[in-house]
Amino acid sequence: MKYLSSVTDAVGDRWRELPKATQRLLTVIFIAGIAVLPMVQIPLLDTPQTDFPSLLFDKIGLYVLMGIGLNVVVGKAGLLDLGYVAFFAIGGYTMAQIGTLLHWSFWLILPLGVVIAMSAGAILGLPTLRLRGDYLAIVTLGFGEIIRITAVNVDWLGANRGVPNIPWPAAIGPLNFEDILNPKPFYWVLLALIILVIWLLKRIDRSRVGRAWEAIREDEDAAELMGVQTLKFKLWAFSIGAGIGGMGGVLFASKVGFISPDNFPLTLSVMFLAIVVLGGSGNIPGVILGALAISYIPERLRGFSEYRVLLFGAALVIMMNLRPQGLLPRRIRGKVI
Amino acid sequence: MPNESTLLEFKNVTMRFGGVTALSDVDISVGKGEIAALIGPNGAGKTTVFNIVTGVYQPTQGEVRFKGESIVGKKRSEITRMGLARTFQNIRLFAEMTALENVLVGADAHSKSSVPGAILTLPRKRREEREAHERANELMSFMGISKQAHLLAKGLPYGDQRRLEICRALATNPEVLLLDEPAAGFNPVEKEILGEQIRAIRDRGYTVLLIEHDMSLVMGISDRVMVLDFGTKIADEIPSEIQRDPRVIAAYLGVPVDAS
Repeated sequence: MKYLSSVTDAVGDRWRELPKATQRLLTVIFIAGIAVLPMVQIPLLDTPQTDFPSLLFDKIGLYVLMGIGLNVVVGKAGLLDLGYVAFFAIGGYTMAQIGTLLHWSFWLILPLGVVIAMSAGAILGLPTLRLRGDYLAIVTLGFGEIIRITAVNVDWLGANRGVPNIPWPAAIGPLNFEDILNPKPFYWVLLALIILVIWLLKRIDRSRVGRAWEAIREDEDAAELMGVQTLKFKLWAFSIGAGIGGMGGVLFASKVGFISPDNFPLTLSVMFLAIVVLGGSGNIPGVILGALAISYIPERLRGFSEYRVLLFGAALVIMMNLRPQGLLPRRIRGKVI
Repeated sequence: MPNESTLLEFKNVTMRFGGVTALSDVDISVGKGEIAALIGPNGAGKTTVFNIVTGVYQPTQGEVRFKGESIVGKKRSEITRMGLARTFQNIRLFAEMTALENVLVGADAHSKSSVPGAILTLPRKRREEREAHERANELMSFMGISKQAHLLAKGLPYGDQRRLEICRALATNPEVLLLDEPAAGFNPVEKEILGEQIRAIRDRGYTVLLIEHDMSLVMGISDRVMVLDFGTKIADEIPSEIQRDPRVIAAYLGVPVDAS
């Protein structure tokens, strides 16, 4: 584990020393490599029930997106959200309802789902973000359950039966989403969205907003006394995280074509939180690594049938004991120059 | 003493916590451009004054005015942006951020750009960002901690952490800088340097209200000294008078039985 962090630190140092143009080129090559992943068949990576290319969208890619979204809330602003699945569900039901009832295009519902989830985040956040720590965690935990139970009880939302026949996205150019057995188009859309989200978050992070979030996480009272409008910036963090969660939900609903309240259990919130904590709170590469582990390991262990959750749990406990700050923690900047 | 140049003013301020009266009927005024000191034995209510000024506590009774405007009930961040910034007796830096980032958070206090500005990289955001960096760098070299700019705050030596707190507060561009025991834990040489720096801060046009236990520092740099004892103000004079004031001596040393 020590070895891992020294390797990543060294890689990071080398990276920073590279010229800007080289960095750009390497980024493009890296993204291209990720993009062609579903084209190559690597039998070793297939899991007992799913081939690897299918797994790349659901769960791996989705978990990466959700991890990045929750990281804004938990890792950056330090707000403990135990009900993140609520925004995933809001996005999913937005896609399901508007897609099946109004027959809107996926490409319109996607931004709409983000906006609705962001608004939900703001509405939930406005009264609750005055709370701190444990209290906020409990309120968000409740919110996650409220959304799921609402879906169970509202007939218009399909109740327990769920919503079937959710439309897939209209084809764009050569990308045709009709073939359920072809996971590639969805994967590419998701990959493009993840890149877009990371790019936007990087810009926010490098501004006063990113600093305000960190200051709030470090010492909320001191931040307020240094002129940071803490409630405003906590609301931004909360609703940006919510919007990203909603985005994941829209994609998920459109891909699987059928959703029901069972898709949005409390354990999913816990998984999302585990991604952030295991990967390295506040650090996007760490969160991506965490998402890979949390999405892939349980699938891989499916061969062990009922023991898989036990094994997964044991793996998490061991990991967190060896490396409580996460696989790739926020880099300890601040080196003597 | 309140006159036109009075910046900060307490009028009959009383602060009770349950049955404990921390401040009782206190009048304080700080005039523009002065270094005013607030001294008194432990528990006299000095930090309570700071907490009321910065909006952490709401006074039970009385008025608190800044440039003639009441600040009671205003949000803490708003009070800071009005021009009252403080340091903390027990250092409260943003430990996992670099020294420079700590100061930038202070410098951001007057920035208007937010998430949309950051995403679109609006010209205003760029200008504010550049100004914040210039301001932060200038203040850090003024306080002599430029070399530490890229170290995490928690990794700074103790004295530099105290200096960084002053930088961070100055970065908010306050009219009145409130320093809560800035020399705590300093050796005599460091205290002397700090005294010079506080004077230099005043010479830059800031007004300073100082809480300090070190008498040589207080007497050396203050224009006026206010003494609190058990929540009441017992003296408010120039330093040379304070040292002779029998009430002050009594508060610090105790009153001989036969003297009263």
